[in-house]
Amino acid sequence: MGTMSGALPLSGFGSRVAAKSKVEYENTPEGALVRRAQAGEEPAFREIVERYQSKVFSIIHGIVRQRNDVEDIAQQVFAKVYLSLKSFDFRSSLITWIYKITVNECFDYLRKRKVRKLVYESDLSEDEVRRVENSEPNVDRQAPVDTTLARRDYMVKLLSRVSEEERMLLVLKEVEGYSVEELAEQTGMNENTIKVKLFRARQKLVKAAQRLERAPGLVAG
Amino acid sequence: MHAVVMEDLEGYLSGTLEPAVQRDIEAHLHACSACREEVNGMREISQLFDSLRPVETPDQSWDPSPGFYAGVLRQIDAQSSKPATNSLFGWNLAFGRRLVFASLLTLAVLGGYLATHEPESQGMPSPEAILAQQESPSFDAVPAHDNMLVTLTAYEQR
Repeated sequence: MGTMSGALPLSGFGSRVAAKSKVEYENTPEGALVRRAQAGEEPAFREIVERYQSKVFSIIHGIVRQRNDVEDIAQQVFAKVYLSLKSFDFRSSLITWIYKITVNECFDYLRKRKVRKLVYESDLSEDEVRRVENSEPNVDRQAPVDTTLARRDYMVKLLSRVSEEERMLLVLKEVEGYSVEELAEQTGMNENTIKVKLFRARQKLVKAAQRLERAPGLVAG
Repeated sequence: MHAVVMEDLEGYLSGTLEPAVQRDIEAHLHACSACREEVNGMREISQLFDSLRPVETPDQSWDPSPGFYAGVLRQIDAQSSKPATNSLFGWNLAFGRRLVFASLLTLAVLGGYLATHEPESQGMPSPEAILAQQESPSFDAVPAHDNMLVTLTAYEQR
Protein backbone atom coordinates (compact mmCIF):
# COMPACT_ATOMS: atom_id res chain seq x y z
CA MET A 1 0.00 0.00 0.00
CA GLY A 2 1.17 3.54 -0.69
CA THR A 3 2.84 4.98 -3.76
CA MET A 4 5.27 7.79 -4.38
CA SER A 5 2.63 9.64 -6.37
CA GLY A 6 0.96 10.32 -3.07
CA ALA A 7 -2.37 8.60 -3.55
CA LEU A 8 -2.84 6.07 -0.79
CA PRO A 9 -5.33 3.31 -1.62
CA LEU A 10 -6.17 2.76 2.03
CA SER A 11 -8.78 0.12 2.59
CA GLY A 12 -11.88 1.24 4.42
CA PHE A 13 -11.20 4.90 3.82
CA GLY A 14 -13.49 7.07 1.80
CA SER A 15 -10.86 9.04 -0.05
CA ARG A 16 -7.44 8.76 -1.48
CA VAL A 17 -5.38 11.34 0.25
CA ALA A 18 -2.00 12.68 -0.65
CA ALA A 19 -0.29 13.47 2.62
CA LYS A 20 3.38 13.57 1.70
CA SER A 21 3.69 17.21 2.73
CA LYS A 22 1.54 19.86 4.26
CA VAL A 23 1.58 22.01 1.12
CA GLU A 24 0.77 19.08 -1.17
CA TYR A 25 -2.13 18.04 1.03
CA GLU A 26 -3.55 21.54 1.18
CA ASN A 27 -3.59 21.60 -2.60
CA THR A 28 -5.55 18.39 -2.95
CA PRO A 29 -9.34 18.34 -3.46
CA GLU A 30 -9.75 17.23 0.14
CA GLY A 31 -7.50 20.04 1.31
CA ALA A 32 -9.75 22.48 -0.53
CA LEU A 33 -12.80 20.87 1.06
CA VAL A 34 -11.30 21.29 4.52
CA ARG A 35 -10.49 24.93 3.77
CA ARG A 36 -14.08 25.55 2.78
CA ALA A 37 -15.35 23.89 5.93
CA GLN A 38 -12.90 25.93 8.02
CA ALA A 39 -14.32 29.05 6.39
CA GLY A 40 -17.75 28.06 7.68
CA GLU A 41 -19.30 26.51 4.59
CA GLU A 42 -21.87 24.09 5.96
CA PRO A 43 -22.18 21.99 2.79
CA ALA A 44 -18.41 21.38 2.97
CA PHE A 45 -18.68 20.16 6.56
CA ARG A 46 -21.63 17.96 5.64
CA GLU A 47 -19.57 16.42 2.86
CA ILE A 48 -16.82 15.63 5.37
CA VAL A 49 -19.36 13.95 7.64
CA GLU A 50 -20.84 11.89 4.82
CA ARG A 51 -17.40 10.93 3.57
CA TYR A 52 -16.14 9.57 6.89
CA GLN A 53 -19.21 8.59 8.89
CA SER A 54 -19.04 4.91 7.97
CA LYS A 55 -15.40 4.71 8.93
CA VAL A 56 -16.05 6.46 12.21
CA PHE A 57 -18.91 4.04 12.98
CA SER A 58 -16.62 1.12 12.25
CA ILE A 59 -13.87 2.42 14.56
CA ILE A 60 -16.33 3.11 17.36
CA HIS A 61 -17.94 -0.29 17.11
CA GLY A 62 -14.55 -1.96 17.21
CA ILE A 63 -13.69 -0.31 20.50
CA VAL A 64 -17.01 0.20 22.24
CA ARG A 65 -18.93 -2.87 20.99
CA GLN A 66 -22.27 -1.28 21.87
CA ARG A 67 -24.20 -0.87 18.65
CA ASN A 68 -26.84 1.30 20.32
CA ASP A 69 -24.27 3.89 21.32
CA VAL A 70 -22.30 4.01 18.08
CA GLU A 71 -24.34 6.81 16.52
CA ASP A 72 -24.39 8.89 19.70
CA ILE A 73 -20.63 8.71 19.98
CA ALA A 74 -20.22 9.38 16.25
CA GLN A 75 -22.34 12.52 16.58
CA GLN A 76 -20.07 13.71 19.39
CA VAL A 77 -17.04 12.95 17.24
CA PHE A 78 -18.27 15.05 14.34
CA ALA A 79 -19.39 17.84 16.66
CA LYS A 80 -15.81 17.92 18.00
CA VAL A 81 -14.50 17.86 14.44
CA TYR A 82 -16.64 20.88 13.59
CA LEU A 83 -15.72 22.84 16.71
CA SER A 84 -11.99 22.22 16.38
CA LEU A 85 -11.67 22.21 12.59
CA LYS A 86 -10.05 25.64 12.60
CA SER A 87 -7.12 24.16 14.52
CA PHE A 88 -6.50 21.46 11.89
CA ASP A 89 -3.16 22.41 10.38
CA PHE A 90 -2.85 19.94 7.46
CA ARG A 91 0.25 18.31 9.01
CA SER A 92 -1.63 15.03 9.05
CA SER A 93 -4.40 13.84 6.81
CA LEU A 94 -7.96 14.68 7.79
CA ILE A 95 -8.90 11.05 8.39
CA THR A 96 -5.93 10.57 10.71
CA TRP A 97 -7.04 13.60 12.67
CA ILE A 98 -10.65 12.38 12.79
CA TYR A 99 -9.40 8.92 13.77
CA LYS A 100 -7.59 10.36 16.79
CA ILE A 101 -10.71 12.26 17.88
CA THR A 102 -12.79 9.11 17.45
CA VAL A 103 -10.47 6.91 19.52
CA ASN A 104 -10.36 9.54 22.28
CA GLU A 105 -14.15 9.87 22.33
CA CYS A 106 -14.44 6.10 22.66
CA PHE A 107 -12.10 6.07 25.62
CA ASP A 108 -13.97 8.96 27.23
CA TYR A 109 -17.25 7.14 26.68
CA LEU A 110 -15.97 3.93 28.25
CA ARG A 111 -14.55 5.79 31.23
CA LYS A 112 -17.78 7.73 31.82
CA ARG A 113 -19.92 4.64 31.35
CA LYS A 114 -18.01 2.80 34.05
CA VAL A 115 -18.47 5.71 36.48
CA ARG A 116 -22.15 6.18 35.55
CA LYS A 117 -22.87 2.49 36.11
CA LEU A 118 -21.40 2.64 39.58
CA VAL A 119 -23.22 5.88 40.42
CA TYR A 120 -26.51 4.28 39.36
CA GLU A 121 -25.89 1.13 41.34
CA SER A 122 -24.73 2.80 44.52
CA ASP A 123 -25.53 5.86 46.59
CA LEU A 124 -22.14 7.38 45.89
CA SER A 125 -21.55 10.62 44.01
CA GLU A 126 -19.41 10.64 40.88
CA ASP A 127 -16.37 11.91 42.79
CA GLU A 128 -16.76 9.21 45.40
CA VAL A 129 -17.14 6.58 42.73
CA ARG A 130 -13.94 7.70 41.04
CA ARG A 131 -12.10 7.44 44.37
CA VAL A 132 -13.50 3.97 44.96
CA GLU A 133 -12.73 2.95 41.40
CA ASN A 134 -9.10 3.91 41.76
CA SER A 135 -8.63 2.15 45.07
CA GLU A 136 -10.58 -1.09 44.73
CA PRO A 137 -8.69 -4.03 43.29
CA ASN A 138 -11.55 -5.02 41.00
CA VAL A 139 -14.46 -2.65 40.64
CA ASP A 140 -16.15 -4.50 37.80
CA ARG A 141 -17.49 -7.46 39.71
CA GLN A 142 -19.46 -8.72 36.79
CA ALA A 143 -16.66 -9.20 34.26
CA PRO A 144 -17.99 -9.93 30.77
CA VAL A 145 -18.25 -13.61 30.04
CA ASP A 146 -17.46 -13.04 26.37
CA THR A 147 -13.72 -13.46 25.83
CA THR A 148 -13.49 -10.82 23.14
CA LEU A 149 -15.14 -8.26 25.41
CA ALA A 150 -12.81 -9.22 28.24
CA ARG A 151 -9.81 -8.79 25.95
CA ARG A 152 -11.26 -5.50 24.73
CA ASP A 153 -11.67 -4.26 28.29
CA TYR A 154 -8.12 -5.29 29.05
CA MET A 155 -6.76 -3.48 25.98
CA VAL A 156 -8.77 -0.37 26.83
CA LYS A 157 -7.21 -0.41 30.30
CA LEU A 158 -3.71 -0.74 28.86
CA LEU A 159 -4.26 1.88 26.17
CA SER A 160 -5.47 4.37 28.77
CA ARG A 161 -1.86 4.38 30.05
CA VAL A 162 -0.38 5.87 26.89
CA SER A 163 -0.76 9.33 25.40
CA GLU A 164 -3.44 10.16 22.85
CA GLU A 165 -0.87 10.31 20.08
CA GLU A 166 0.67 6.97 21.03
CA ARG A 167 -2.78 5.42 21.23
CA MET A 168 -3.67 6.67 17.79
CA LEU A 169 -0.41 5.36 16.30
CA LEU A 170 -0.84 1.96 17.93
CA VAL A 171 -4.44 1.57 16.83
CA LEU A 172 -3.65 2.71 13.28
CA LYS A 173 -0.75 0.28 13.14
CA GLU A 174 -2.35 -2.72 14.81
CA VAL A 175 -6.04 -2.40 13.98
CA GLU A 176 -5.98 -0.59 10.64
CA GLY A 177 -2.80 -2.28 9.46
CA TYR A 178 -0.79 0.79 8.50
CA SER A 179 2.89 0.30 7.86
CA VAL A 180 5.45 2.65 9.40
CA GLU A 181 5.85 4.33 6.02
CA GLU A 182 2.13 4.92 5.73
CA LEU A 183 1.93 6.24 9.27
CA ALA A 184 4.70 8.70 8.43
CA GLU A 185 2.82 9.84 5.34
CA GLN A 186 -0.48 10.16 7.17
CA THR A 187 0.83 11.97 10.23
CA GLY A 188 3.53 14.13 8.74
CA MET A 189 6.16 12.67 11.13
CA ASN A 190 9.30 10.99 9.82
CA GLU A 191 9.68 7.22 9.96
CA ASN A 192 12.28 7.17 12.73
CA THR A 193 10.06 9.31 14.91
CA ILE A 194 7.17 6.93 14.29
CA LYS A 195 9.34 3.92 15.19
CA VAL A 196 10.55 5.55 18.41
CA LYS A 197 7.04 6.58 19.45
CA LEU A 198 5.66 3.12 18.74
CA PHE A 199 8.50 1.47 20.62
CA ARG A 200 7.99 3.67 23.68
CA ALA A 201 4.24 3.13 23.55
CA ARG A 202 4.71 -0.65 23.41
CA GLN A 203 7.07 -0.49 26.37
CA LYS A 204 4.42 1.41 28.33
CA LEU A 205 1.80 -1.21 27.45
CA VAL A 206 4.07 -4.01 28.65
CA LYS A 207 4.76 -2.17 31.92
CA ALA A 208 1.05 -1.50 32.40
CA ALA A 209 0.29 -5.18 31.80
CA GLN A 210 2.90 -6.20 34.37
CA ARG A 211 1.46 -3.77 36.94
CA LEU A 212 -2.03 -5.03 36.22
CA GLU A 213 -0.94 -8.58 36.90
CA ARG A 214 0.63 -7.58 40.19
CA ALA A 215 -2.20 -5.30 41.36
CA PRO A 216 -5.30 -5.09 39.17
CA GLY A 217 -6.62 -1.94 40.81
CA LEU A 218 -3.53 0.09 40.00
CA VAL A 219 -4.27 0.45 36.31
CA ALA A 220 -7.41 2.54 36.20
CA GLY A 221 -9.37 2.07 33.01
CA MET B 1 16.35 -3.62 23.73
CA HIS B 2 19.27 -3.86 21.32
CA ALA B 3 19.31 -1.79 18.16
CA VAL B 4 19.34 -4.84 15.88
CA VAL B 5 15.83 -5.67 17.12
CA MET B 6 14.54 -2.17 17.76
CA GLU B 7 15.28 -0.97 14.23
CA ASP B 8 12.97 -3.54 12.66
CA LEU B 9 10.66 -4.23 15.58
CA GLU B 10 7.49 -3.12 13.80
CA GLY B 11 8.23 -5.24 10.76
CA TYR B 12 9.07 -8.21 13.00
CA LEU B 13 5.83 -7.91 14.98
CA SER B 14 3.76 -7.63 11.84
CA GLY B 15 5.66 -10.42 10.07
CA THR B 16 6.59 -8.30 7.08
CA LEU B 17 10.37 -8.48 7.18
CA GLU B 18 12.63 -9.82 4.48
CA PRO B 19 13.62 -13.40 5.35
CA ALA B 20 17.29 -12.48 5.87
CA VAL B 21 16.43 -9.68 8.31
CA GLN B 22 13.93 -11.92 10.09
CA ARG B 23 16.64 -14.57 10.55
CA ASP B 24 19.09 -12.01 11.96
CA ILE B 25 16.59 -10.84 14.52
CA GLU B 26 15.59 -14.34 15.51
CA ALA B 27 19.26 -15.28 15.92
CA HIS B 28 19.70 -12.33 18.25
CA LEU B 29 16.55 -13.15 20.22
CA HIS B 30 17.76 -16.71 20.62
CA ALA B 31 20.96 -15.44 22.20
CA CYS B 32 19.65 -12.43 24.16
CA SER B 33 17.14 -13.24 26.90
CA ALA B 34 16.43 -9.60 27.73
CA CYS B 35 15.41 -8.76 24.17
CA ARG B 36 13.54 -12.04 23.88
CA GLU B 37 11.49 -11.36 26.99
CA GLU B 38 10.69 -7.81 25.94
CA VAL B 39 9.69 -8.80 22.42
CA ASN B 40 7.52 -11.65 23.70
CA GLY B 41 5.68 -9.22 25.98
CA MET B 42 5.11 -6.84 23.11
CA ARG B 43 3.97 -9.63 20.80
CA GLU B 44 1.40 -10.91 23.31
CA ILE B 45 -0.11 -7.44 23.60
CA SER B 46 0.03 -6.95 19.84
CA GLN B 47 -2.19 -10.00 19.42
CA LEU B 48 -4.78 -8.51 21.77
CA PHE B 49 -5.44 -5.64 19.38
CA ASP B 50 -7.71 -8.04 17.48
CA SER B 51 -10.28 -7.35 20.16
CA LEU B 52 -10.56 -3.75 18.93
CA ARG B 53 -11.39 -4.69 15.35
CA PRO B 54 -15.06 -4.43 14.44
CA VAL B 55 -16.71 -7.76 13.83
CA GLU B 56 -17.80 -7.68 10.21
CA THR B 57 -20.91 -9.67 9.39
CA PRO B 58 -22.50 -10.05 5.94
CA ASP B 59 -25.50 -7.95 6.93
CA GLN B 60 -23.39 -5.38 8.78
CA SER B 61 -24.28 -1.92 7.63
CA TRP B 62 -22.48 1.16 8.82
CA ASP B 63 -24.97 3.52 7.21
CA PRO B 64 -26.27 6.12 9.62
CA SER B 65 -29.91 6.56 10.50
CA PRO B 66 -31.81 9.32 8.63
CA GLY B 67 -31.54 11.81 11.47
CA PHE B 68 -27.82 11.35 12.03
CA TYR B 69 -26.62 14.63 10.53
CA ALA B 70 -29.35 16.57 12.35
CA GLY B 71 -28.07 14.95 15.53
CA VAL B 72 -24.55 16.18 14.73
CA LEU B 73 -25.86 19.74 14.39
CA ARG B 74 -27.70 19.40 17.72
CA GLN B 75 -24.49 18.23 19.37
CA ILE B 76 -22.64 21.20 17.90
CA ASP B 77 -25.26 23.56 19.34
CA ALA B 78 -25.12 21.82 22.70
CA GLN B 79 -21.32 21.90 22.88
CA SER B 80 -21.13 25.47 21.63
CA SER B 81 -23.46 26.76 24.30
CA LYS B 82 -21.79 24.90 27.18
CA PRO B 83 -20.41 27.48 29.64
CA ALA B 84 -17.00 25.91 29.96
CA THR B 85 -14.89 27.44 32.69
CA ASN B 86 -11.93 27.43 30.39
CA SER B 87 -13.77 29.72 28.00
CA LEU B 88 -13.98 32.39 30.68
CA PHE B 89 -11.71 35.18 29.49
CA GLY B 90 -10.42 32.74 26.89
CA TRP B 91 -8.25 31.02 29.46
CA ASN B 92 -7.31 27.41 29.39
CA LEU B 93 -6.15 25.38 32.34
CA ALA B 94 -2.48 25.56 31.45
CA PHE B 95 -2.58 29.33 31.13
CA GLY B 96 -4.47 29.60 34.44
CA ARG B 97 -1.83 27.54 36.22
CA ARG B 98 0.95 29.69 34.80
CA LEU B 99 -0.88 32.85 35.84
CA VAL B 100 -1.30 31.62 39.41
CA PHE B 101 2.36 30.63 39.58
CA ALA B 102 3.48 33.99 38.21
CA SER B 103 1.27 35.83 40.73
CA LEU B 104 2.64 33.83 43.65
CA LEU B 105 6.19 34.43 42.48
CA THR B 106 5.55 38.17 42.20
CA LEU B 107 4.06 38.27 45.69
CA ALA B 108 7.00 36.34 47.09
CA VAL B 109 9.54 38.69 45.48
CA LEU B 110 7.62 41.78 46.55
CA GLY B 111 7.21 40.46 50.08
CA GLY B 112 10.90 39.69 50.30
CA TYR B 113 11.79 43.15 49.08
CA LEU B 114 9.49 44.84 51.56
CA ALA B 115 10.78 42.72 54.43
CA THR B 116 14.39 43.66 53.73
CA HIS B 117 13.80 47.31 52.87
CA GLU B 118 11.68 48.70 55.69
CA PRO B 119 10.79 52.33 54.84
CA GLU B 120 12.12 54.89 57.24
CA SER B 121 9.58 56.75 59.29
CA GLN B 122 8.87 60.24 58.17
CA GLY B 123 9.23 63.01 60.62
CA MET B 124 10.30 60.64 63.44
CA PRO B 125 13.79 60.93 64.84
CA SER B 126 15.89 57.78 65.11
CA PRO B 127 16.45 56.18 68.55
CA GLU B 128 20.02 57.53 68.50
CA ALA B 129 18.78 61.04 67.96
CA ILE B 130 16.27 60.67 70.77
CA LEU B 131 18.88 59.37 73.24
CA ALA B 132 21.31 62.09 72.17
CA GLN B 133 18.86 64.63 73.56
CA GLN B 134 20.19 63.89 77.02
CA GLU B 135 23.45 65.59 75.96
CA SER B 136 21.52 68.78 75.34
CA PRO B 137 21.76 71.54 77.97
CA SER B 138 17.99 71.70 78.30
CA PHE B 139 17.66 67.99 78.99
CA ASP B 140 17.41 68.31 82.72
CA ALA B 141 14.06 70.02 82.39
CA VAL B 142 11.19 67.73 83.32
CA PRO B 143 9.28 68.41 80.12
CA ALA B 144 12.37 67.30 78.18
CA HIS B 145 12.31 63.94 80.03
CA ASP B 146 8.58 63.55 79.39
CA ASN B 147 8.96 64.48 75.75
CA MET B 148 11.77 61.97 75.32
CA LEU B 149 9.68 59.18 76.87
CA VAL B 150 6.67 60.06 74.70
CA THR B 151 8.87 60.15 71.61
CA LEU B 152 10.47 56.77 72.43
CA THR B 153 7.06 55.22 73.17
CA ALA B 154 5.59 56.54 69.95
CA TYR B 155 8.63 55.20 68.08
CA GLU B 156 8.14 51.73 69.61
CA GLN B 157 4.46 51.69 68.77
CA ARG B 158 5.12 52.65 65.13
